Amino acid sequence: MSAGGRVSQNGSSESSIDLTPMLDVVFIMLIFFIVTSSFVKEPGVDITKVAAVTTDPCEQGTIIFAIDAAGKIHYDKKEIPLDRAFRLAEAAKKESPRANFVIQADEEAPTSALSELLSAIKPLMDVPLCASTEEAG
Amino acid sequence: MRKRNRQADAEEAEIDLTPMLDVVFIMLIFFIVVASFLKEAGIEVNRPDSNQNPPETDATSIVVTITGDDQIWMEDRRIDIRAVRANIARLLASDPNQTFTVTTAPGASAGTLLAVGDAAREAGVSQVNWPAERKQ
Repeated sequence: MSAGGRVSQNGSSESSIDLTPMLDVVFIMLIFFIVTSSFVKEPGVDITKVAAVTTDPCEQGTIIFAIDAAGKIHYDKKEIPLDRAFRLAEAAKKESPRANFVIQADEEAPTSALSELLSAIKPLMDVPLCASTEEAG
Repeated sequence: MRKRNRQADAEEAEIDLTPMLDVVFIMLIFFIVVASFLKEAGIEVNRPDSNQNPPETDATSIVVTITGDDQIWMEDRRIDIRAVRANIARLLASDPNQTFTVTTAPGASAGTLLAVGDAAREAGVSQVNWPAERKQ
């Protein structure tokens, strides 16, 4: 009885492929990529990066500040004063606790600006700063 | 007309998943592209804790100083940026466990600092330390 029913069912669904297993896989991939993706707020300023031979990938470096040639700090496409940098960095760190900090400093940027920014966000950092450079050669 | 009706009746039982699949695939592709897009690369610069005294009295420490006008000083000599790597490598050869510290004066440029850090890493130091600048 049941065997007969199954056969007739198979016969009727023969024309369309069962998409359920594929859907399962696709959904799992989708959720994986949603969870692992971290959205980066681009500093939105063009800087000339220093070329360095020992350039390594920044692990989880997704909180990006930029310092332009005039020493001004940029974050999330806006120019920000130094005293706001800590609060923005704190908010970003709270949003994604595993993210690390990256500073893109222009070749011409004064080290004093870089030093002040680094001092400001130092309490939030759990790994050394990743100073963005360009792969040389 | 009648044929179409019968067809609709037959398909009524199962939901058409095609539009949802389209959306899901587009989202999937979007997230795959975004995930591989963020690749920031650079060199690590460590800021030593300011409350603990910097080990300046420590004899086994390589110190490079960058002055406000981007001159690089090492062992009381002014050296060229291209000579930094060789000098650090020479000092490291005598004691490979030395710490490396670069100090800057206000006015120096980040390009010089990172070039020195790069040269030091190329010479084999494990960590580039950069203490806070002294206010002048």
